[in-house]
Amino acid sequence: MIEVVSPAWFSIVVDGGRYGYADVGVPGSAALDQFAYNLLNYLVGNETGAPVLEVMGNDFCVRLNAEMTCAITGAQVTAYLDDRPITPWVSFTAHKGSTLRVKEVLEGFRYYVGFSGLMEVDRIIRSFSTNLECRFGGFRGRPLIKGDRIALKDPKVIGERFVPEEVVLSLDPPHVLRIIEGPESHFFTPGTINRLFEKKEHSWYIVSSKSNRIGIRLEGKPLIFKKGVDKSIISEGILPGTVQVPGDGLPILMLYERTIGGYARLGMVAKVDHDRLAHLKPKDRVLFQLIGIDEAERLWRQKVEMFYRTLPQ
Amino acid sequence: MDYSRYGEDGVRIIFGNTIDLETNNVIRKFYLFLKSLQRKDIIDIIPSFRSCLIHFNSRRTSYDDLVSFLKDKEGEIASFQVPETRSHEIPVQYGGEYGPDMEFVCSYSGLNEEEVVEIHASTVYAVFAVGFIPGFPYMGTLDKRIYAPRLETPRLKVPEGSVGLAQLQTGIYSFESPAGWRIIGKTHIQLFDPTKEPYSLLRMGDMVRFIPV
Repeated sequence: MIEVVSPAWFSIVVDGGRYGYADVGVPGSAALDQFAYNLLNYLVGNETGAPVLEVMGNDFCVRLNAEMTCAITGAQVTAYLDDRPITPWVSFTAHKGSTLRVKEVLEGFRYYVGFSGLMEVDRIIRSFSTNLECRFGGFRGRPLIKGDRIALKDPKVIGERFVPEEVVLSLDPPHVLRIIEGPESHFFTPGTINRLFEKKEHSWYIVSSKSNRIGIRLEGKPLIFKKGVDKSIISEGILPGTVQVPGDGLPILMLYERTIGGYARLGMVAKVDHDRLAHLKPKDRVLFQLIGIDEAERLWRQKVEMFYRTLPQ
Repeated sequence: MDYSRYGEDGVRIIFGNTIDLETNNVIRKFYLFLKSLQRKDIIDIIPSFRSCLIHFNSRRTSYDDLVSFLKDKEGEIASFQVPETRSHEIPVQYGGEYGPDMEFVCSYSGLNEEEVVEIHASTVYAVFAVGFIPGFPYMGTLDKRIYAPRLETPRLKVPEGSVGLAQLQTGIYSFESPAGWRIIGKTHIQLFDPTKEPYSLLRMGDMVRFIPV
């Protein structure tokens, strides 16, 4: 059993995502950093798709009421098991009754905490992920609060596993997001598009504090629509990473909570950069780089290969 | 049918340029056909007013392979038999505390509340798409007399069951959510039950009539 002593700013149960029912509006609600999520399950010896905790903020603390292997991935943090410092991206074994505490986030935004064994949380529509708006999945469909107790089925101890340092990316801003052209990129003036991708000071956007798990809102110079174009579109399907631009000209990076959108889609964040979206925090600087679909696919293949190289088998 | 890419693992198929039932029915047929194949390389299908977005698994297929498969099947899709559409009656409490924008819709249309309700409840609507959030039906077509633009600034929250209008569409907020549509009433009917398949009460192609209570 895992007892929440302090949930930090915000912590929820997530997994690889809820797929197969987008036709009735069910979004993925996946762990935002899938690389960190998948490697966490590897580190603690759990099966692909097992639930983990996704946490934001300092001072996360759980008491572990069984002997088990644990690990932390995602944002760079300082963490302690009782008084002993813990190295992220390396599994460690906790004795029954020990306390795991994440003191501070040093770089990035969201970190992931996993335990060997299966957290007994709600599996709804084929997924453990929490859908916060609809209040289902995960731990009773809500963020964790102090005093929550999560049962752990078959806690176990496995040998130490680690992720090589060189595959863990720097998460410091500015975040350079690679973008593939979207269906409505022609809604914008050539001047505005050039400015966006120039990587000069006037191309920066700042992550807004109004961002949430649905989308990351950006602040900066509004993008300019061509004269006479309709600013909204007939609503249609979108995928995670879609860059939507509402009438005010300020882009929103859509995450895993919407299946249909009605705003102009300037582009899509290339898949290789999706995990980075988990680490865009208010006030971070964001720059865009336009790439072609072939380049995007090549970068993605490279990332997948790196992922499999990380696993020792 | 116009095929194009949507990111690395999306196929976007456009069937028309307007909101009309004929186009939507063609999309429904395409979507139900594709769904019936239960292909492992397709993660999700998102049909909507004038397009269908396919989210595919790039480890199992590619854009080119999937599109050439779909093109081969165009004839078969045209003759695919779709199930009959289902009909629903949804009770609605109009106006007052349940319809914070009723007053706006009245003044915008120049009609009184009784007339707005009468017009809204006398049309049988078709569900053109379900989404943005689980179980939310995008329905049309609204009578032009009660056309209303979206809110300039969306509300941060409307209660579950809120019935709204936007342009020539009407919809029901299946969960408490942010909302840019004009809210004129509320239903107590549960539109989405995450514990019971098929989860969503309303599906693409269903017909809906509102009953004032």
